[in-house]
Amino acid sequence: MLLAVAEQVLNGLMLGSIYVFVALGMMLIYGVMHVLNFAHGALFMLGGYCAHLVFTQAIGNYALAILAAIVMLIAVGAVIERTVFAPLRDNLRNQVIASLGLVLFIENLVVVLWGPNALQFRIETTQAVVSLGVLRFRVQHLLIIGVCALCVTALFLFLQRTRFGTAIRAVAQNPRAALVVGIDVVRVHRVTFAISMALAAIGGALLGPLFLLFPQMGDLPLVKGLAGILLGGMGSIGGAVVGGLLIGVIEAVSTLVIATDYRDAVTFTAIVLVLLLRPQGLFGVRTREEA
Amino acid sequence: MSAMLSVRDVSAGYGGRMIVEGVSLDVPAGQIVAVIGHNGAGKSTLLKAVFNLLPGRRGRVRLGDTVLDGLAPQRLLAAGLAYVPQERSTFPKLTIAENLRMGAYLLDDAALIAERTERVLALFPALRARLGQLAGTLSGGEQRMLEIARTLLVAPRAVMLDEPSIGLAPKMVDTVFDTARRLAGQGVAVLVVEQNVRKVLAAADTGIVMEMGRIVLADSAASLRSDDRVARLYLGAAGRAFSAPAHP
Ligand SMILES: Nc1ncnc2c1ncn2[C@@H]1O[C@H](COP(=O)(O)OP(=O)(O)OP(=O)(O)O)[C@@H](O)[C@H]1O
Ligand SMILES: [Mg+2]
Repeated sequence: MLLAVAEQVLNGLMLGSIYVFVALGMMLIYGVMHVLNFAHGALFMLGGYCAHLVFTQAIGNYALAILAAIVMLIAVGAVIERTVFAPLRDNLRNQVIASLGLVLFIENLVVVLWGPNALQFRIETTQAVVSLGVLRFRVQHLLIIGVCALCVTALFLFLQRTRFGTAIRAVAQNPRAALVVGIDVVRVHRVTFAISMALAAIGGALLGPLFLLFPQMGDLPLVKGLAGILLGGMGSIGGAVVGGLLIGVIEAVSTLVIATDYRDAVTFTAIVLVLLLRPQGLFGVRTREEA
Repeated sequence: MSAMLSVRDVSAGYGGRMIVEGVSLDVPAGQIVAVIGHNGAGKSTLLKAVFNLLPGRRGRVRLGDTVLDGLAPQRLLAAGLAYVPQERSTFPKLTIAENLRMGAYLLDDAALIAERTERVLALFPALRARLGQLAGTLSGGEQRMLEIARTLLVAPRAVMLDEPSIGLAPKMVDTVFDTARRLAGQGVAVLVVEQNVRKVLAAADTGIVMEMGRIVLADSAASLRSDDRVARLYLGAAGRAFSAPAHP
């Protein structure tokens, strides 16, 4: 039993890491530029397809394929930020509508380019297994957790220790003041969006090989990433990380006591509970709507 | 002697509605020019206009030999114009040290930043003891000091202060005007908007009265201090007795 719990906890940390990639990206752009991007899950999915494309058609090296996916997603994100979100700055409602439109656009674009059927993304790390005492882990699971830890640490150090990272936090806290001290706010917005896209690409490219690639593969990570943000409390990186991981662990461990089919129900129940207990955790729309 | 900060025929407003119309003024190096006027007269709008924050602004602004028209804020700072807006401009969840670092955002030279930070902290010792504290935990007056301290890190040639004494305890108000005087003493051109007319006219060299977006009076601070109209309208002498009937 203990063995099963340990296995599920690790499973949950793996899933949770995927949610963290989504949660961090969404929270960053909301916190810094007040953009609510519900197409984040679709972009996550696109990251998986891009990695697959590069892996199967060009290099055959997983790490390089992920890097390529990051670059491609940053480029796609730059176009979306300039054409969709920049014109809708300070208009959350229209951002939500536009980003829901983007979901349809991206998902159908993927169907046009890659067809409607799920794709297999075969790499060695999904088959390989390592033993840790009596526990056996799939390498891909450890890879996901490790890369997530690495990204979170890097992001944290970047935001805390560098001048530009501090400027990103400054813009999130007081954009007018940022202008007054000479921070290029537009550039901060663009870099923040790029970081968010990079995280989505990494998440999609890491999850793809574990299951299958299909146009809706980003939908559940999106919802659960949001649940993670709510659970952890809006506005802090630590909160998004803990929240995302927690959702993954709750979900995985719950399969030990409840049928696997219900695991999404468990997650959504957790969201509802959080909303009931902490309604202020619901997206801080208040700040801008009042101004 | 020509002015350090020269504003010529500036008009500006919000969304096509002009608030400030045809304002010209000069701030010589080493002097303090005070802008006074009632709430809504357009004083803050004037400073925003000079700092190129209002789209559609008309007129010309120069700093020394540099034409500032149309430059982005970071270029204005690089040219040597610093600005403390009326509303709070600290970063509440950054430490005081980080706030100061953001004040020097445009500087790359670590040694220079360290040296200037040291000099600024010597001027504002209260900040030194709290470098690691979040700015949001400071009192309103202390945050004002932080905002002013921060602008000094770019070693500006001209500084615009919008109501620096607002919400400050009397002792702090004196510190603010002392700081402004000291800046001017170092050759900086200081343009200050103030509600505290008595204090600012005591500290300033020149006073400008704005009403309805225009300059209606400009004179040396000394003569404005003894000007009847200024005394009646802005210093509270005789109150509003001449325009409203006294209550029974
Ligand atoms: N962001 C804005 N959008 C539209 N109108 C504005 C804005 N800011 C100020 N105004 C208007 O411009 C006019 C001048 O405002 P301004 O803030 O320049 O006055 P002020 O002289 O600084 O007053 P105060 O002493 O209250 O600070 C006012 O009528 C005000 O309502
Ligand atoms: Mg004002």
